[in-house]
Amino acid sequence: MAIHKILCCCGSGLGSSLIVHMNTEEVVKKLGHPEIEVDHSTISDIHEGAADLFVVGGDLADFVNNVPDDKKIVLKNILDKNELEEKLKAHLG
Amino acid sequence: MALTMSDMLKRENVQIVDSCKDWEDSVHVAVQPLVDGGYVKPEYIDGIIQNAKELGPYFVLVPDLALLHARPEQGAIKKQLAVTVVRKGVEFKKGEPCRVLVTLAAEDSDSHIDVMRILASMFADPANIEKVATAETADDVYSLFVNFPAA
Repeated sequence: MAIHKILCCCGSGLGSSLIVHMNTEEVVKKLGHPEIEVDHSTISDIHEGAADLFVVGGDLADFVNNVPDDKKIVLKNILDKNELEEKLKAHLG
Repeated sequence: MALTMSDMLKRENVQIVDSCKDWEDSVHVAVQPLVDGGYVKPEYIDGIIQNAKELGPYFVLVPDLALLHARPEQGAIKKQLAVTVVRKGVEFKKGEPCRVLVTLAAEDSDSHIDVMRILASMFADPANIEKVATAETADDVYSLFVNFPAA
C-alpha cells in the first residue's frame, strides 16, 4: 500500500519523536518521496488510520504490539539515520 | 529567526554532580535548576517520573544520554534546557548507567525544533557525549553545548 503519511511517536510527543520526525523528513526526501507527510505525536495517537506508517523507538515497542509489521518501524537507535534509512527503504520500496 | 543554543541554555542551568541516590533522585536534581529559574513548575518533576513509570525510560535516547522531559501541560512554563552531568551515572535501565542528563522544558510540541536539531546531531556521535560526560568543569560543559555548530 502506498504510504502518504508517517507518524513518529514517543512518550511525550516532543522530544525523541521530534528528532525522528526531522530525520524521517530528511530521509524520505533523500529516497525521492518528498510528497510523504511526516508528523510527530505521542504513542497514544497510534491507531489504525492515523498514518500509513508509525515510527517508534525500541523502548516503546510494546506499545505498538497490535500494529502490523508492515505499518511500523521500531528503531534500535533513534538518532541513527542509517538505520532509519535502511528501514524506510524497506517500506517505501 | 532560528533559535540558538544560547537562547535555550543558560550557564547557571549547567551543573556537575558526583552521584544521585537513584534515578528518581536524579530527575529531581536535573530539573531543579529549571524550577528555580521559573521555567517549569515543581510538578514537572513528578510528571517526568510518572511518565517513566508508565512508559519506561524512553527518554534515554542513546547509551549515556537521557533527554528528560514531560508534556507541556505537565508543568512547563517557558522553553529552556538544563544539563546535569552525573559522574557516577544513573541507572534508568539496570546495568546501563547514564552520565549526561539533558532536561527539556517545551511549551508546545515543536517550537524548540532548532535546538533539537543541534542536540540530535551532537548526540548522534558518541564521542560528543563522552566529551560532555568527562568535561572538567561546568563551564566546559556549557561551552561544548553553546559552541556546537548548528547544521
